[in-house]
Formats: sequence, C-alpha cells, structure tokens
Amino acid sequence: MLEGKFDESTLLKKIVDAIKDCVKLCNFNCTEHGITVQAVDDSRVLLVSLLVGQTAFSEYRCDRDITLGIDLDSFSKIIKCGNNEDYLTLLAEDSPDAVMTIFEDKKKERVSEYSLKLMNIDSEFLKIDDMEYDTVINMPSTEFAKIVRDLKNMSESLNIIVTKDSVKFTSEGESGSGSVVLKPYTDMDKPEESVTVHLDQPVDLTFGLKYLNDIIKATSLSGTITIKLADKTPALFEYKLDVGGYLRFYLAPKFDEDE
Amino acid sequence: MGVKGLNQLIKEHSPGAFKEFQLKNLFGRKVAIDASMCLYQFLIAVRQSDGQQLTNESGETTSHLSGMFYRTIRMVENNIKPVYVFDGKPPVLKGGELEKRLLKREEAQKQIDSIKDTGTVAEVMKFEKRLVRVSREQNDEAKKLLELMGIPYVNAPCEAEAQCAELARTGKVFAAASEDMDTLCYEPPYLLRHLTFAEARKMPINQITYSEAIAGLEMTKPQFIDMCILLGCDYCETIKGVGPVTAYKLIKEHGSLEKIIEHINSNPTSKYKVPENWPYDEARQLFMDPEVTKGEEVTLKWKEPDVEGLIQYMVREKGFSEDRIRSGAEKLKKGLKTGVQGRLDGFFSVVAKPGAKAGDKKGDKKRGSDSKASNNKKKRK
Repeated sequence: MLEGKFDESTLLKKIVDAIKDCVKLCNFNCTEHGITVQAVDDSRVLLVSLLVGQTAFSEYRCDRDITLGIDLDSFSKIIKCGNNEDYLTLLAEDSPDAVMTIFEDKKKERVSEYSLKLMNIDSEFLKIDDMEYDTVINMPSTEFAKIVRDLKNMSESLNIIVTKDSVKFTSEGESGSGSVVLKPYTDMDKPEESVTVHLDQPVDLTFGLKYLNDIIKATSLSGTITIKLADKTPALFEYKLDVGGYLRFYLAPKFDEDE
Repeated sequence: MGVKGLNQLIKEHSPGAFKEFQLKNLFGRKVAIDASMCLYQFLIAVRQSDGQQLTNESGETTSHLSGMFYRTIRMVENNIKPVYVFDGKPPVLKGGELEKRLLKREEAQKQIDSIKDTGTVAEVMKFEKRLVRVSREQNDEAKKLLELMGIPYVNAPCEAEAQCAELARTGKVFAAASEDMDTLCYEPPYLLRHLTFAEARKMPINQITYSEAIAGLEMTKPQFIDMCILLGCDYCETIKGVGPVTAYKLIKEHGSLEKIIEHINSNPTSKYKVPENWPYDEARQLFMDPEVTKGEEVTLKWKEPDVEGLIQYMVREKGFSEDRIRSGAEKLKKGLKTGVQGRLDGFFSVVAKPGAKAGDKKGDKKRGSDSKASNNKKKRK
C-alpha cells in the first residue's frame, strides 16, 4: 500500500506540468525510497527521469513496490483541483486499479478526494550509465529559460558552444540570427544567481528548440539548472528538488549529416 | 496485391511487431518507397472536387505529378529522405495475375459502357477508378519530376518491393514503404504503410518490424513465405478454402508447402484441393532470391532542387501554379539543409521490464492487443 503526503500540493502540480507536454502516459514507480518516473517521448529524442525522494513527503509509506500507470493529462486536471497550500495525499492499494488523490485544507475542515483510473502502460526501461561529460554548466534556471524562449523565435535549433571562458548560445534562422554569451560569474550574496562552467573539453552541440522548450517547463521546480554536455552524446539537463530528488531530461543532439 | 489476412495474423501473434505513429516521428530516416504503388494511389485518389483527375490545359492527366510533388515535400518537411523505386519487368509468374487485372479492367470498361446513360455519376466513377493503370509515360514523367526535385530514384530490375526491401536490408535506407504486405516476404527490417497517404486522411503510419513479426509467429523465413503463398500472392493461386487461420495452422503443423501438399494428397477425405501444376516452388524462389540490384551498387544522393527546371516543367508544361511550385521548392531546399535530429536509442540500452509486475495484468494485455487503437493504452476497469 502506498501513502504519500505532501505538505503542499504545489510541488506535485509543478512536476506534472513540467513533464506532461513531452510524455502523455507514464508509470510512476513507487518504492520505499520514494517515487520514480522514467519516460521517453514518442519521437524517442527526449527522456524524462524523475525522482521524488522520501524526504519530499511529510509522511511516506510504501511497503511493496507499486507501479501506477498514469495518464498525465487526466492527472493534471485532478491535481489542479487542489489549492496550492493544501495537503496532498496519494493513496493506492498494493495492486491498484486506481490511485486516490486527497486534498486537505489546512485551516478549514475541507477534504476533497479524487480517484484516477490507472492504465496498463507497456514501457521499456532504458538503462542510463553514468557518463563522462566534457562540460558541466550551472546557471539560474530562469536565465536558461529566457535564453531558450528568446532564441526560439529565430529558428528551430539552438547551438551551444562552450569554450574556456564562455558559453555561447546561437540560433540562426531564415529571418536572422541571435546569440547570447554567458561568462562565469559568482554572486556571493545569492549563490543561485551564479554561473559556473567546468570544462574538460570544449563542446559544440546543437539541439532542437522544440524539445528545449519542453524542458524549461520545469523551471519553477528549482532555482538552478545543471547542464552536462559531451560531444555526440545526449545532454543532461537537471533540476534538483530542494526537498530531495530531481527532474532530469536527457536530450539527443542534432547532427549534421556527413554523407 | 496484398496477402490476405497477414495483417491480422501478425497482429494476433506478434502484437509487438506493430507500431503506429505520426509521420513526424520518422524524422531523419531514409525510406525506400514503392513508386509504382504510390503513383497508382495518386491516380486514384488525387482528384478534383467533381471526381475528375487533375489535368493540364491539353487534357493530360497530372494527378500523379501533383501527388508525387506534394507528398514528397511533406516527407522532406518532416526531415524524411525518400528514395523512390520503380518496377522493372514483371516476373514471368506474374503473368497470370496481370492477365487477371487486365480482364478486370475490360470488365469495368464494359460496365461503364452499359451504365453510361443510366447510371449516376458516382457509379460511373466507381468503375472508372477500376480502369486506372499507370502508363509508361506517367512513370517517366514521375522520374523526370523527381530528378528536378533532387530526390533519388532507383529502377528495379524486377519487382519494386523486392528492391525496396534490399535497400533496407543493406542499410541504405531505414525501411521499405509499400502498402503491399507481400513486401514482408523480402525480409525488410521494417515495413512502413500509409506513408504516402494524404495528410487529410489523418492515417497514422504503420510500422511492422520483420524480426518481431516472424519471432511472434515462430516461423522461419521459408515458412513465412510459404504461409504468404497460401494466403495469396501475385505469383500463383491459393488452395481453395484455406484462409488465414487454416494457413497458419497448416504451416505450423506441417512446416512446409511440400508437406502440406503431401498431407492433402495422401488424405482423400481432405476437403482441400491442391491446384494442378501449382508453381508454388517458383513463387517461393522469387521471394527467397528476388532479382534486385545489390544494395552496395546503389548510391543515393539527395540534391538541391532545380527550381528553374521545376518551373519550366511543372508550370509551363503541366499547368501547375507557379507560386505553389516555388514555395514547394523552397521547402525542399530547407528540408535538405536542417541538421538531423538524433535519437536516444543507441546511447541508452533497453532493459526489459521485470516480468513479475506485468503478471497480474496479463489479461489486460491480451485485450489491449486486439483493440484497434493502440496496444498499450487500454484503460483498466
């Protein structure tokens, strides 16, 4: 039996909103350590990997591993029914047909309950090996979101070039081009505003902005984003959850055809 | 013309072999398309609102060119690289089938003549569509158009499907695209269907994975071919009364056509009758060892379109609108330039889901597989 209580419903709301545009159906795997999700979008370009650690819940109990096959569109509608500050509890039996979502108002004695039918989702599990990345960038998540949103107006692809002392984002389209250059920057007072670059090797990679635009929907989950890049390898975009856990996106790069 | 019931058999025994997705998910793939098949489709389907084929001022049909032009562009826009494969000479065995088709056309012509005065427009149209065949000139026109568009094509020495499969098998392209299920007999790694259908039909692409199909059926390639022959191919007749279910059962039981024939002949009470002088072995040979140009000998190159050439041909000679042809050429250019989006496959290895978890849902899985929509989206009750 699964029983997971969030102190505030907004966390789950943000998580579901962050991934529901790239994957429609996914399995929530519940174990004693927390809830994990792994899902690949239809075109097999973007992989979502979520961990909501036990610590993210105010109360958490899961005696046996449970898989919840969830239609995120329907789930997101249910989650929107709660107020942001409400307690949110997820409840499921050991081999469940449905998952219960319970909202409790903290002051008033109002309790609302929603049940969502589960689905049998055939999904394969991808094994992600720890990879060596050439470059690791840490930056404010809002900064990254702005870059993606701005440069999306220019073309469909975003080129990221990282050299010793700068990160350059470029988008070249028919009507023109745009670029943003960032340099490492340390803000002593607000460390989350800092930009750091760890560079083993310079990289030059291109990504589809359509997918990046899906990724930045997770911006509200964390003040900072970590971007790990390596040549000809899927990039890793990570939003850490303050309360324990992460939301990671793995995005396959674009290639120039060399034939 | 399509192996009867093969689709169903594969769906039943190897649901995993079927995938449905939108055209855009094929980005970055090269595909070999059976051109003769799709020209025929275009002649049937690309029509004006009154049901007449498109023509230019002097009355020559241009439906095939319109279909070829716009649907190719749609693929290129989705970052797909098509190569068209044209039929060569038909194999001798196909003579019977071709004769049948000729007879059908003659029959349709007779019908038209008889109802021309009395029948409704719709009725006449129905028979008129049966008259449609792709002429040699139309084939040549399509090739000329492809050349101007910078899209490669291959002249197959014999059957186009076989050549498509050969290109896919040798890694020149990702998949063979044909509506004809026969194509599976030539062992392409993937067969795509509905690729050249009109966008308006909203028909998802069907992808059939050969290896999974055959694994699910638990057959070898020769057995699979034998079954297709039983189901009906272009090369020879079938045994009367043997449908998909029986064909599957017979192959499973006996293992080969020889054994099945032996079984039927040694069993006078059998309700089946083997056709006389049945050339099943020759048909099988055509599938096992088709006449194709080896993949290694084929070079495919996608080039910039020849815009002026297109204008001259399509606008001046064939009466298409200049604006549309120009914007189409722009799309071709653009599609050629953009980099190819990579996929995650190949970077991450797939781990099979722990089987135990799926255990309690088995019943659902089964039901899921025969539902038409998609085999993994079944709501649990």
